[in-house]
Amino acid sequence: MTDPSRFKLPPLDPTAPLAPGRPETLPPFDVPPTSDQPTGRRRLDRRAFLGLAGGVGALGALGALFGPRAWDALLGGDTTAGGGALGQGEGSKLVLLTLYGGNDGLNTVIPYQNPAYASARGPLAVEASSVLPLAEGFGLHAGMPGFKKLWDAKELAIVHGVGFANPNYSHFESMDIWQSGDTDASVSTGWLGRWLDGTKSSPLRAIALGPTLPTALSGERVQGAAIPIGPLVLPGDPGEQALYAALARAGTSGAPLAVEAATSDAVLLQLNQRLGPILSRSTTANPLHVSDLAGEAQTAASELAISDGGGGRAGGDVLAVQLSVVANLILAGASADIYSVELGGFDTHADQAPVQSALLSQLDSAVTAFVDALRGTRHGARTTVLIYTEFGRRVGGNASDGTDHGWANVAFAAGPSVKGGFYGEPPSLINLSEGNTVYTTDFRSLYATMFAEVLGTDPKPFLDGSYSELSLV
Amino acid sequence: MTVATQVSTSDLVAHLYRRAGFGALPSELSAATSAGYDATVANLVAGLTAPDPGADAIATPTLSPPESLVRLRQDPAALKAYAVQLRAQFVELTTWWLGRLLATSNPLKEKLTFLLHGHFPTAISKVRFPVYMYDQNQLFRSQGSGDFAVLTQAVAEDPAMLIWLDANSNKASNPNENFARELMERFTMGIGTYTQTDVRAASYCFTGWRLDPRTGAFDIAVRQHSTASQTFLGVSGVNTGQQVIDLVTHSDASIHFVPSRFWSYLAYPVTPSDPVVADLAPGYAADRNLGNLLTAIFQHPKFTQAPSLQGLVKQPTEYVVGTLRALGVTPTELQARRPAELEQVFANLGQVLFDPPSVGGWPQNSYWLSTSAALARWKFAHQVARTTDISTVSDASPGDRVDAAAEMLTVSNWSATTASALQRAASDPPTLVTVALVSPEYVSN
Repeated sequence: MTDPSRFKLPPLDPTAPLAPGRPETLPPFDVPPTSDQPTGRRRLDRRAFLGLAGGVGALGALGALFGPRAWDALLGGDTTAGGGALGQGEGSKLVLLTLYGGNDGLNTVIPYQNPAYASARGPLAVEASSVLPLAEGFGLHAGMPGFKKLWDAKELAIVHGVGFANPNYSHFESMDIWQSGDTDASVSTGWLGRWLDGTKSSPLRAIALGPTLPTALSGERVQGAAIPIGPLVLPGDPGEQALYAALARAGTSGAPLAVEAATSDAVLLQLNQRLGPILSRSTTANPLHVSDLAGEAQTAASELAISDGGGGRAGGDVLAVQLSVVANLILAGASADIYSVELGGFDTHADQAPVQSALLSQLDSAVTAFVDALRGTRHGARTTVLIYTEFGRRVGGNASDGTDHGWANVAFAAGPSVKGGFYGEPPSLINLSEGNTVYTTDFRSLYATMFAEVLGTDPKPFLDGSYSELSLV
Repeated sequence: MTVATQVSTSDLVAHLYRRAGFGALPSELSAATSAGYDATVANLVAGLTAPDPGADAIATPTLSPPESLVRLRQDPAALKAYAVQLRAQFVELTTWWLGRLLATSNPLKEKLTFLLHGHFPTAISKVRFPVYMYDQNQLFRSQGSGDFAVLTQAVAEDPAMLIWLDANSNKASNPNENFARELMERFTMGIGTYTQTDVRAASYCFTGWRLDPRTGAFDIAVRQHSTASQTFLGVSGVNTGQQVIDLVTHSDASIHFVPSRFWSYLAYPVTPSDPVVADLAPGYAADRNLGNLLTAIFQHPKFTQAPSLQGLVKQPTEYVVGTLRALGVTPTELQARRPAELEQVFANLGQVLFDPPSVGGWPQNSYWLSTSAALARWKFAHQVARTTDISTVSDASPGDRVDAAAEMLTVSNWSATTASALQRAASDPPTLVTVALVSPEYVSN
């Protein structure tokens, strides 16, 4: 059985800026102790928070019950990479956007001037006249005008031929490899989870949207936090919350799964303590200008578990809502370094064109609005969205007007501080292997780049081997 | 590890009822404890093929036959009305199954139906028609405990799976691999036991499989079926989907894979190479009978040892249904609750019946322990403790309420920490029940 101690929360950094004995005071979301004066935008946000302080009384009771030392044990430490769980929000942020199901990259970044493309794709080839031209013979799918604008503004990096050796077409193995950052199937930690472990970070440094936590954010000792799409409001009166906290403190002994459950309860309280005031208004603040955000969030909450076929997770028009919550957190100065959002339904074995077109439009509008909301802001200007999917699709289509599982694919990085352009070598459309494009860029090069250029750390401790960085941020 | 002799019969039977059903009621527990563990296993397994008067009293949902979406698309108003109708039927379908889960007299039969839904997952979000999900659910219930090869064949020909994995549009000219791959990887053999050449060969054998557009029944379109002879898993001369299913379900890989999956669902997660699977495989190979496999699992010594007693986190359906059963909520009361609220509970917990997230079904254990799910469990516990009859706890004297909660939820022992928290809530029964329902030992067992 697993050693129960693996679930222990890491020790607290005594220099962390929270004042646990005074929980009636809102945590310093937007005014880090060492930062410059807030901008006008920040002051507005501050007022918005103060209007939502209703839930703080309960926290007062919790804090009184625990006392500072108990909170210390609960809250975990942040001894590296920028200090406390809040108040250091100006650092670079990584937003991991997973497209579940295997997006057809060949019809997303289209080599429309390559004669091999039309001949290999046959009826599934996108008409050259419809593509949004980029450069070097490539163009974007017509449903992605926002990405075209990002490209023109040099805020969109496109990485060609991303993949790994000996792919086997399985959604699950491929996604496991991507999320663990290792081609060895026995590695069960996520590539960012190992960073949480290695930096002894608080779980709040890596936040996923939705009911479950993706493997990428799961370490051996530290698991990231998952937050609901709707507002985060704890049930019960202060008395009940205090008892819940008493259970959540239990996370040091007992059966491993019980310990893990208690630990996750503790992180929930921590999440509420640090980010509750932002998250409780997540369906009213609307930085991405989603029409009917509250309605969409309600749909999102119920549809996040709904998908469309093999390998998919999320579905429905929910990506914009997820990114809206992320934008709220970033703009408010929450100092999570990593966020994870997702869009599912890309497993287009049949009737691909309309399905993919709808999904790409959703991706395009949500990501573009997100980057627009962050550009030029104090806390969001150094945000990078990394967009990937588990595999590319077969170059030749099947007779169901769809494509089967394939190998190499394009990946994207988008954001105000991204160095736009092409990276990596486009794979040959003539020298195929089993009908697939062969990778030219190891997927771990993306991760090495994110570690070095976004998280500001040496990638080596977190990856098995050295992978060249792409200098795209 | 703790040895089985330290655990009372009552605790073992409570464990069995959690895994083979959705938890015992105190009355069931005392009867089963008197009967003994082995007799209880025999009773539960006998229920697999017996009528289920409790669940069968739940009215069958009214589900309309599928209509042609091609035709409806020409009339947007009619299409919209039809979509609204399907949505309402989906809610009715879910309420029906939840009612069965609450009312069942043969919990293992409903549990196996639930596990098979996760083993052969299909989702309403792609299948669209609730009536197909209902038909598949009934198939799991009526044929689930027999020969797994026969079951796999029936599932493959059933509309929900034909639509879910695109078999419905698999044509000889250039087959799509979706069903052939997942059949081997997820349903019968496991990853690494076949090659891409096998996937390709199998996909040709399944070409032409479809729903007849006129009758809606399974049919093989002769003109779309590849007549080419394939070599599949080293066997030459293979040409039909039925041959492929026979070969995969009788393969050595499958003889280990299937027991490994069911052990994982019922005891704790294992791979096909685990020693416990080696114990189960010969018996399973003899008849591929899932009912017999379940007996072998429940009778295996390791099933009643600590790693199994502590080996699983309750899936959300187990958690919600087990809680509602323990609190005495009847299917009629379930109907009276707003279905939308319960639907939201399941969505927030990450498990929507008839809508698994992918062809992999639902992962286990840590997957259910996110902070989001913790919040959703707490909200559900808080709400249910205040809207149901908890008199078995509140009628007890304050000093007895902690024990009364344990009895109601068939929890054998509270940890010292939980017991202390419960004791502090002794004067406030709804809060005491809430805390019991979110305690680590109730969430994971």
